[in-house]
This record gives sequence, structure tokens and C-alpha cells, in this order.
Amino acid sequence: MDLFFYLGPIILMLLLLGFVTYAILFERKVIGWIQNRPGPNQVGPWGLFQTIADVAKLLLKEDIVPGKADRALFKLAPIIAFVPAFAILAVIPFTESWQFGDFAVGLLYYIAISSITIIGILTGAWASNNKYSLLGGMRSAAQMISYEIPLVLSVVGIVMTTGSLDLNDIVLAQKKVWFIVPQFLAFLIFLIASLAELNRTPFDLPEAESELVAGYHVEYTGFRFAFFMLAEYVYVFAMASLTTCLFLGGWLPLFGLTMIPGILWFLLKFSLVVFSLFWIRATMPRLRVDQLMQFAWKVLLPLSLLNIFLTAIFKEIPVLSSFY
Amino acid sequence: MFGLLKGLGVTLKNMTKPKVTYNYPAEPIPVPDRFRGIQHFDAEKCIVCNQCALVCPTDCITLTGKRNPDPEKKGKVIEIYDINFEICILCDLCTEVCPTEAIVMTNNFELATYSRDDLFKNMQWLHDNNQNIRQENMSSKPPGAAGGAK
Repeated sequence: MDLFFYLGPIILMLLLLGFVTYAILFERKVIGWIQNRPGPNQVGPWGLFQTIADVAKLLLKEDIVPGKADRALFKLAPIIAFVPAFAILAVIPFTESWQFGDFAVGLLYYIAISSITIIGILTGAWASNNKYSLLGGMRSAAQMISYEIPLVLSVVGIVMTTGSLDLNDIVLAQKKVWFIVPQFLAFLIFLIASLAELNRTPFDLPEAESELVAGYHVEYTGFRFAFFMLAEYVYVFAMASLTTCLFLGGWLPLFGLTMIPGILWFLLKFSLVVFSLFWIRATMPRLRVDQLMQFAWKVLLPLSLLNIFLTAIFKEIPVLSSFY
Repeated sequence: MFGLLKGLGVTLKNMTKPKVTYNYPAEPIPVPDRFRGIQHFDAEKCIVCNQCALVCPTDCITLTGKRNPDPEKKGKVIEIYDINFEICILCDLCTEVCPTEAIVMTNNFELATYSRDDLFKNMQWLHDNNQNIRQENMSSKPPGAAGGAK
């Protein structure tokens, strides 16, 4: 147990690096297939070493700090952005026993810690002393703060149903029926808001290659840039895991197929969520910045409030109350 | 609202469709016959009439002839025949004007090199460029009427 306490996070970190490496390849492959081309296929068999080559290139690059940048903050920002992304993984229950920190307010911890990343992004954007990066950082902060509210409120329905913020309890409460069925509205809101939280298309305004060059990380090169990218993909991992736990029944099997171990069920649902993230990215165009804010405050927020009220009402109706 | 789902359906269906890209450097792209590629030169057929050098719009062809070494025969034989592919525009005029089809086009087009010096091709190189020789060389006459180059 003690050994696992120290080794566990290291193993998770290595697994995570493996995931990020192949998630990037898989994303490029999926987008390639959707655009009727094979995707990366030159480096290694089936392009398997493409990301490794890209990362090696990033690490070999000269590490540039712009002359007019705020050196201390510039160097600190990627760390602030990455550390919370890794820290939130502690509460994700991969199976009944595979969880690093099981505590009563797991969901709250996840949401609270994950918002620290915004500070890292804003710090990096400001410290770069570049107008594009500052614009990207400002957009990013505005977007992430706005979309965090519907994200949290959409989960409130689930918390009301289970009466717990512990992710283990939430998963176990889905033994009969996954929350995606009774909380379908919440699921849609959560999915959209999590896309915005992840800064992924159609909500990739902070990066917006075509308008802001690359948003908040314009001035970052090499290792520090890799850290921002790593944080982004670790969030994909974390958000897909959270979606699996909240709405898709975590490690619980479908149709009572208990002979398949829980971790495989988790991985299956998790991969489905990750795939749909890539699929949406390949399909949707980017939102306009004014539509973005209106959508968060005028559509998603009222809908998530409606969802809370509906859940509260359904809890009192005798036929439906078994689901809520 | 349903437009979004429709769009997702379109992209999902696209994943199974055949790929439209070429595996180009690994597999050559087939080009149509009558493609204007790098010239092939056959010294045996050349009568040193100088028409190709005269018609060349960029003056990229340099040629000199000498007396036929066999005193029995009249006329000249080719001695030097160079094409400078730095300035050649592959316009096909030299091959059109050639009365004996000594210079013909091929379907080869890969000329990229690391040095400009490599683009200066001599008679030997042009003679060895004998793959994918174009079949139809008399564009002014219907195919079959004239023999064309073998």
C-alpha cells in the first residue's frame, strides 16, 4: 500500500503520457479518415511513431523566452497550467479499487482544482507580452469561467439524485440505469460545456489558428509549449473519465456482462467519449465570439437551472422517483 | 438543432469511404500520354538540322554536329546535345519540330535536385532517359498516320 502510494502516481503519469501520445495520433487519424485521407502514416508502421517524433522535435528545439516577456511568470505559467490537470485525476475512480484519493467531495474537488488552469493560461498569455496571446488568454479566461457555471449546474441534478459528491457513490448509484437516461438534458449541457472547458472545436476561440495565430501560447516554444499541449490533452483524459463516471456508469458493466473486468468497461466507455470529442472536432466549425458568450449565459445556464428544477419535481412524483 | 446531428452523420459516414489521396513518392502517379515530360534524345536519328535549337523559346538547347566519320555518307552526325533544364519550359516545341523524332517527350517529370548544376543534362543523360517514352508524338497528324518514335 505504501509502495503504491508513491509508485501509483508515477505509473499513472506514464500511462497518461502514453495516452496523450496516442490520443494525438488517433485524433489526427480520425480527422484524416473523416476527410477521406489516411492521416499520418509515414513515421513507423501505421504512423505509430508520429507523435513521438513530434515530441522529440519539440524537446530538441531552442527554448526561447521573449526579451520583453516577464521571465518569472513566463516560466511559471506552463507549470500552473499543467499541475491541476494532473491533480484532478486523483479522484477519478477507474474501477472499484483503482482510485488514488477517495473522498466525500470528489466532484467538487475536480471542479475546483480544474479551474486553476485558467490562471496558468492567463499568466502565460500576459507574461508573453504579445497582443495575440493576450487576446487568446482573455478569451480563454472569459470562456472557461462562463462555461464552468453550466458545467457545474448540470451536474447538480446528479448530485441531488445520489445525495453525494463522492464519485464512487455516483457510479454505484447507476447500477439500475445510467444517468445519461434520466439526466439526458444534463448530459447534453455537460457535453457542450466540457467541450468549451477543454477549448476544443467548436469552442477553440482561445487558440483560433486562423485569427489569433495560436492564442495564449504564441510565444511558447519547445518544452514549455509541450507542457501546455500536455495539459490540454490531460484535460481531455480527465474530462472523458469524468463524463464516463457521471453519465455512463463508470466501470459498471452493460447488460450484466460482469465477466468482462470493470477496467475494460471503463476504457470502452472512455474511448467512446474521446472518439466523440474528435468526431465533433472534425465536424463543427468554430463559434463566433459574441455567440459564444450568449450561448453560455442565455441558453446553457437557463437550461441547466431548468434541469435542476425538473430533477427536484421528478423526485416527488411516485412513478419517476425511483430514477431520481 | 437536427442539422448538427445530420452533420455528425455525414462525417461518420465519410470515415468508411475510400481514401482519395495518392501515395505519391512511393507509387508513381500515372500521367496521360501526350504529357510534356523530360525529353529523350536518340543520337542515331538526329540529322543535325538545328530546328529544335532555333524553335526553342528559351534557348535552352545547345547542339553542334560534325562531319559523318564514314566518308561514303553525306550529312552530319550530332556531337554535343545539351538541354539546360534550369530554363527549359517543357513546351514540346522541339519535339514537334523534329523531322526524324530524334527528340521526343517522355512521361517523366521529376527534376528536383539539390544543385542547379545537376539540371544541365548532356546527350548521354538524355539518351538514357528512355523510360515512359511518349507514344503519340505527331500531334498535328492523327495517330497511326505517322510512325512516331518507338
